[in-house]
Amino acid sequence: MAIAEQKLTSVSPATASSGSFPWRTWLATVDHKKIGIIYIVSAFVFFLLGGIEAMLMRVQLGTPNNTFLSADVYNQLFTMHATTMIFLMVMPMNVGIGNYVVPLMIGARDMAFPRLNALSIWLFLGGGLLLYLSFLTGGAPNGGWFAYAPLTQVQYSPTAGMDYWILGLGLTGIASIAGALNFIVTVLNMRAPGMSINRMPLFVWMNLVVSFIIIFAFPTFTVGSIQLLFDRQFGAAFFNPAQGGDAVLWQHLFWFFGHPEVYILILPVMGMISEILPVFSRKPIFGYSFVAFSGVGIGFLGFIVWAHHMFGVGMGPMANAFFAAASMVIAIPTGVKIFNWIATMWAGDVRLTTAMLYAIGFISMFIIGGISGITLASPPIDLQQTDTYYVVAHLHYVLFGGSILGLFAGAFYWFPKMTGRLLNERIGKIQFWLMMISFNITFFPMHIVGTEGMPRRIYTYEAGMGWDMWNFIETIGTFLLAFSVLIFIYNVLSSLRNGEVASNDPWDAATLEWTIPSPPPSYNFLHIPVVNSRRPLWDAKYPHAAGDDHHGPSSAPSQVRYEYTDEETEGAKDIHMPSLTFSPMIFSGGLTVASLGFIYINKDILGLPTRVAALGFILIGIVMVSIAIRGWILDSRKDSPYLSQHH
Amino acid sequence: MSATSHAHDEAGQAPLVGSLGVDSRKLGLWAFIGSETLFFTALITTHLIFYARTKADLAAKGMLEHMDPKLYLGIDLTTILAAILLASSLTMVLALAATKSKEWPKFRFWLLATIVLGSAFVLGQVYEFTHLYHEGLKLAPQYVYEGETVKSLFGVTFFVMTGFHGLHVTLGVVWLIAVYFKVRRFAASPENPMDVELVGLYWHFVDLVWVAIFTLVYLI
Amino acid sequence: MAEHATHDQHAESHESHSTRFYWMIGAILAVITAVEVAIFLVKDTIGHELFLAILFILSIAKGAGVVMYFMHLRGDARIFQLVFIVPFLLAVTLCLGFLTIFSHHVGIAG
Ligand code: HEM
Ligand SMILES: [Cu+2]
Repeated sequence: MAIAEQKLTSVSPATASSGSFPWRTWLATVDHKKIGIIYIVSAFVFFLLGGIEAMLMRVQLGTPNNTFLSADVYNQLFTMHATTMIFLMVMPMNVGIGNYVVPLMIGARDMAFPRLNALSIWLFLGGGLLLYLSFLTGGAPNGGWFAYAPLTQVQYSPTAGMDYWILGLGLTGIASIAGALNFIVTVLNMRAPGMSINRMPLFVWMNLVVSFIIIFAFPTFTVGSIQLLFDRQFGAAFFNPAQGGDAVLWQHLFWFFGHPEVYILILPVMGMISEILPVFSRKPIFGYSFVAFSGVGIGFLGFIVWAHHMFGVGMGPMANAFFAAASMVIAIPTGVKIFNWIATMWAGDVRLTTAMLYAIGFISMFIIGGISGITLASPPIDLQQTDTYYVVAHLHYVLFGGSILGLFAGAFYWFPKMTGRLLNERIGKIQFWLMMISFNITFFPMHIVGTEGMPRRIYTYEAGMGWDMWNFIETIGTFLLAFSVLIFIYNVLSSLRNGEVASNDPWDAATLEWTIPSPPPSYNFLHIPVVNSRRPLWDAKYPHAAGDDHHGPSSAPSQVRYEYTDEETEGAKDIHMPSLTFSPMIFSGGLTVASLGFIYINKDILGLPTRVAALGFILIGIVMVSIAIRGWILDSRKDSPYLSQHH
Repeated sequence: MSATSHAHDEAGQAPLVGSLGVDSRKLGLWAFIGSETLFFTALITTHLIFYARTKADLAAKGMLEHMDPKLYLGIDLTTILAAILLASSLTMVLALAATKSKEWPKFRFWLLATIVLGSAFVLGQVYEFTHLYHEGLKLAPQYVYEGETVKSLFGVTFFVMTGFHGLHVTLGVVWLIAVYFKVRRFAASPENPMDVELVGLYWHFVDLVWVAIFTLVYLI
Repeated sequence: MAEHATHDQHAESHESHSTRFYWMIGAILAVITAVEVAIFLVKDTIGHELFLAILFILSIAKGAGVVMYFMHLRGDARIFQLVFIVPFLLAVTLCLGFLTIFSHHVGIAG
């Protein structure tokens, strides 16, 4: 097998160029695995940036009346912290892992649209860089991650920061929609034979649901931010009440997107947990269909609860009652999932690997966050707690305790598949406990100070309000948390060099990605597997074990293969994979440059020269996009499945 | 387009037809159209909200005739625009039918007709915009009318909404032209019918949006 | 071969129509538009409610014509219907929801 593995990798283009780091094969790649890794690495870098911003804020809040940061800088930091963590960290991290794993799980050789996939990653990076460029050009966005009007009008936020926010998130938004379309088509149309919808791994299910949420939720945000851009650049006043606009309209447009967005952040992670728990409990997931359909249910309900973020604006009793009730209903499918996970572990043969610990950590912390969410869904309570640290506590229990702990579980679980080496388990467990403890030290007291009335988004506070001690403790917790992230980085770097070498299937897992080498060859599967159950690999390994009712090992076990003869691996040469292309990168580069120009198109900074330069940027961008489109069409013809028939 | 279609060869499935039995690009485009539906809905809804709010106020001040294009321009121009777009949908579907029966001269004729009609729509809209602008409708929330300042977002919501529709039509024309030249250059390419079908779907969708705007903005 | 594959698939999922059929649909849609404009011109005589009712019915018919016949959604694969109709219903919800909230009816939203 080892020999076969080597043969398999020898045909991958990565090794074709010898010597230094093969830049070309990465920058022009259309391989879903490489794109996934670029997503993951860049999201992690943004995680560190967002973390640094958080630490600066926590230093400022550690003691009362602190002057470490000015109010203005503090505003920029909390805006960029949240924007980064949500749009540049958790979302792309989900997408990155999904990009890597989903095609493998369904037995495909790539995403449905490999070039579009490359476009997504470069657009995401372009948007992220544009956002961070604002720090160097006169001030980062400072209106909060939900950019409440009229604070974001040009009178109140005169730097170009909010324009960077609109256009930067515009680019990442296009990337998200393109990526989501790609996932939808891939999952629906690229499944291996026998991988019917109700046999798909739950991680695949959740990616499908989330992709639909993305394409349905993002448009209102896009429209809202276009309108905001018109307000700022051309004086349109959509959201400026002083001139006949309506600030509350922005809130509705934003939260119609914003609430589904929080499910975009959590559902893929729930999918990961639903893969990891069964493997380390050596039991099938309890109630597969319930977990899958509660995900669909959450997706639908998520679109009718948005205004629970707006109880504070005074919508009227009918609206409040409706949105409160709908929000409480959404806790039901969420609870269903939690019970299913617990039942999966129940009486299982539980192995407490680091990935499993993180998965359990996810469940326990997410329960706390879910409960505080339900309290907030009640308008009378919310009116008391809104805009206090209690909300900050809630969102960090669901987003850090939920999404990020879950992502760590995913990282420990799939790292061996992606790199061929296991992360160090001992260091991993130490890191897990440190992170769990310091997370709670940092965020639990926020429930208390929030209930005591400490508002969120204040840059400092008076001594003697009863908040001093808790704030100090939270700041200490933050440093411990940062230390645990450093341990993780050390673990990754050292394991990449000296980590234990991973076999195809280091965890004794059940899904298709574990049937192929770690890391997989560029074409993933030498022979496309034929699937006959929900756990094709377990069936192949344990043909006599009983499965669940209808989808267990049947008379025809799944055809998944571990080992190949040399002759077969020779055949891999004939597998046609799409060729390298720079067109997607040039395309997104063009859009990024044009966006930068658009930010300054109507700014009175240096008078005419700025506008001329801005116009120049837009033109350059358009030229780049046109070149890219031409290249794209020609490149796609090289790989067209229609045309290859005639070779 | 998709590399992985090859993957299904050995499973005995036809290439290009995935696990769902449909063309991947077509599925992607339909999903995109779904997303665009929400995009235009948000724009139209914004317009309706502000329109309902300011209408009574403007009418009381005797301003409505000067703010609502249908009242001082009449609906002649928009009716013509709607007819043009509808006709272009017809020529588009005829072009597609011609590709299916491989009548290439016919196809070229109908596709060119679609391009011409689409461009005519864009030009008509440019004309309408300049005309409205000279009549005093601006991308601005406030107007001075007989010495009195009046607040109205009508111009703002109207221009942004119809402008984004116009932008979509323009991109559609560019796409049509690209398909025209691609089919001309690679005449015998087997993917041509699907290329035409895709741009056609997008084109009909843009027409569909105009059906909604025509009713909700111009007629009501 | 490829041609064959696509063709087969479409033969199944599409009802194929003659060019005459498309011309007819085009004519019907043109007539609907003409009627819309006509009732717009006489709306003061028929009353506002009736005008709105007729107008909505007509434009829904027109839109449905475009989607079902020009876009061939009728008779095409189910999945296309799904990925269009679900967001369409969502869009209707969005529009009606927002219009209700911004109607400023006492009790509902103010
Ligand atoms: C049990 C289900 C949940 C309910 C009932 C719920 C309810 C709420 C409510 C009512 C608020 C508004 C608080 C306020 O601003 O006054 C809120 C805020 C928030 N929730 Fe949840 N939530 C739930 C689950 C989640 C999940 C799963 C996530 C994300 C993974 C999440 C993320 C957030 C975020 C980020 C905010 C703060 C937004 C902001 O103001 O910046 N929630 N939640
Ligand atoms: Cu919410």
